[in-house]
Amino acid sequence: MTARGTDARSGPVRARTAFWQAYRIGPFLIQVGSSIRDLREQLAWFYGSPLGARQAEIIQFNVRVLHGPLYRRPFAPQAVFKTDTEAPFAPFPLSHAFPLLEWGLNWCIAMRAHQFLMLHAGVVERDGRALILPAVPGSGKSTLTAALALRGWRLLSDEFGLVDWQTGVIHPLPRPIPLKNRSIPVIRAFSPEAELGPLFPKTRKGDVAHLRPPGDSRQRQHETARPAWIVFPRFRVGAKMRLAALPDSLAFARLSQNSFNYRLLGASGFQALETLIRGCHCWSADFGELDAMVTALDQLPPPKS
Amino acid sequence: MSLLLSALRDPTITGQLSATHWNLLLRTSRAHGLCARLSWMMEDQGQQDHCPPVAWNELSAQRFFAEYMQSQVRLERRKLHRALAPRGIPVMLLKGAAYAAAELKVARGRSFADIDIMLPRDRLEEAETALERAGWLSETKDHYDQRYYRRWMHELPPMHHRERLMEVDLHHALLPLTSRIRPNSGLLWEASRPLADAPEVAPCTEDLWLHSAAQLFHDGEIAGALGGMLDLHQLSQEFGAEPGFWERLIERARMLQLERPTYYGIQFCVLLLDSPIPLRTQRAATAFAPDPLSARMMRLLVPRVLEPRAPPKGSPRLSTWLLYLRSHWLRMPPGLLTAHLLRKGLRRLPAGRRAAGH
Repeated sequence: MTARGTDARSGPVRARTAFWQAYRIGPFLIQVGSSIRDLREQLAWFYGSPLGARQAEIIQFNVRVLHGPLYRRPFAPQAVFKTDTEAPFAPFPLSHAFPLLEWGLNWCIAMRAHQFLMLHAGVVERDGRALILPAVPGSGKSTLTAALALRGWRLLSDEFGLVDWQTGVIHPLPRPIPLKNRSIPVIRAFSPEAELGPLFPKTRKGDVAHLRPPGDSRQRQHETARPAWIVFPRFRVGAKMRLAALPDSLAFARLSQNSFNYRLLGASGFQALETLIRGCHCWSADFGELDAMVTALDQLPPPKS
Repeated sequence: MSLLLSALRDPTITGQLSATHWNLLLRTSRAHGLCARLSWMMEDQGQQDHCPPVAWNELSAQRFFAEYMQSQVRLERRKLHRALAPRGIPVMLLKGAAYAAAELKVARGRSFADIDIMLPRDRLEEAETALERAGWLSETKDHYDQRYYRRWMHELPPMHHRERLMEVDLHHALLPLTSRIRPNSGLLWEASRPLADAPEVAPCTEDLWLHSAAQLFHDGEIAGALGGMLDLHQLSQEFGAEPGFWERLIERARMLQLERPTYYGIQFCVLLLDSPIPLRTQRAATAFAPDPLSARMMRLLVPRVLEPRAPPKGSPRLSTWLLYLRSHWLRMPPGLLTAHLLRKGLRRLPAGRRAAGH
């Protein structure tokens, strides 16, 4: 820990303004160092107040988001994401510091958290059972996850389905859900309770605004869930709502392609995926309208076991 | 001493670390790519149950990278065998590939950047042609680089198969042809041992140790090579248990002209990692010591560049640079070295790239 790090945690009053701030997000303790005040405020708004003083705990991810080079500051200021040892991305405009941090954290988790089989999936929970929504970008996964989280399901995560490959349970990772372009007005219209953060125009994924994870999902972020349903969503404009059961073999192939570390985990990954698929109902879903899809998912059959 | 070094010396100390110490240890281990290896060393000492689960996850999760790379190495070995066996070209696995094939403890959690194999020098051209026909490509097209490897080095320019990423280094000697010392590869082949369940052979245990030391203290720049030091330490632990290993090692070092790297290997293994090397072997190795000035310089510089530091600190610059110069000094005679370094220096300039290229 740097001198600044220890210093920053010397009192709860200073916690909000200090350079270093620590947040517990699901199974991870993350320490973020930033010289950018707006970023620190956005972080606290999305994730709740940073942890108080003198937490003597093991930190998994230690990252920094810093101002870019001084000479750019007057005209086109930049933000740079750094881990302990590397700066994996090109700088972003300063005003996009928050999406930069979120992408940076995704990168850290995907590179390191191999105690989990990491699915590229949204995950929500009801009565202790998880609904997994694995999908490639652009298939409406985030929008659908956000909608479900606003309609009585508990948000477990949007980007990472963290399956403990030893026990098969899913760990929550409640983080802001990045809504892109037309999804933003769709979610605003879908629920007046949606709390959206600032709009970040023209990022590399278009316009992005994040849905703040509902308070309930943050408070219960240590409650794991057993998987029960896997639905591969696909949004197409004007498509008719259609749920089709998927054979296990097909579900296996598609899920393995929607995983960050399936290949890396080798036999452990294979076994975890097999157990997961066998224990779940698997469907593919086409939808063109959010409400119909949410209603359909509310009427899923009871879990297999 | 840094916490990582203490933990590698004695993994049982991890049983009593505070969270602050764990944070330091994790950051340092990550920066040096030693998480998985440390986790195996801890497991050997029964420490995983005394370790906070969060820290254990952080360390052991990195094992998957090593295991994945080792599976890629096995695949590459099968493909190489298929290309070379029909021509009756024998293959000797070196370094990591040999450790993994012999299922040595040192291979666990060890990551691989490439696969190193040795071929008899008189079969080299034939082997290269066979591999090119089977789809392997040379990684450098640069004329100077090609010549550099072929005239002066102990290996061909690295190759890789067009469908895979694994880099293959074809060696025909342990050290560069221009090097001050040139171990006789024939002796290596004579002493090589067959592997269980594999068509290739591997150097005998003494030669594995000596090659590791030569790589680190003769051919290498030392800085950043804590992993190499750990190889030597773990090989010492595992082979040291064989009766007569250390006596044979000293004898073998003489035969292969590897006295000096052996001296440094033994000295720094004991100094940095407290390796279990018998006192009489340590004493016997003092006969291999360099002149007192060189010995003092090395004793000053080597621990400085190998001592793992927590990021954002890197290795100390001056010591690193001095050892870099030393490695080149040992690699080539002064005239050739000057020409080579000039050429490399010029190439860094954009204009120089064009001039030096062709």
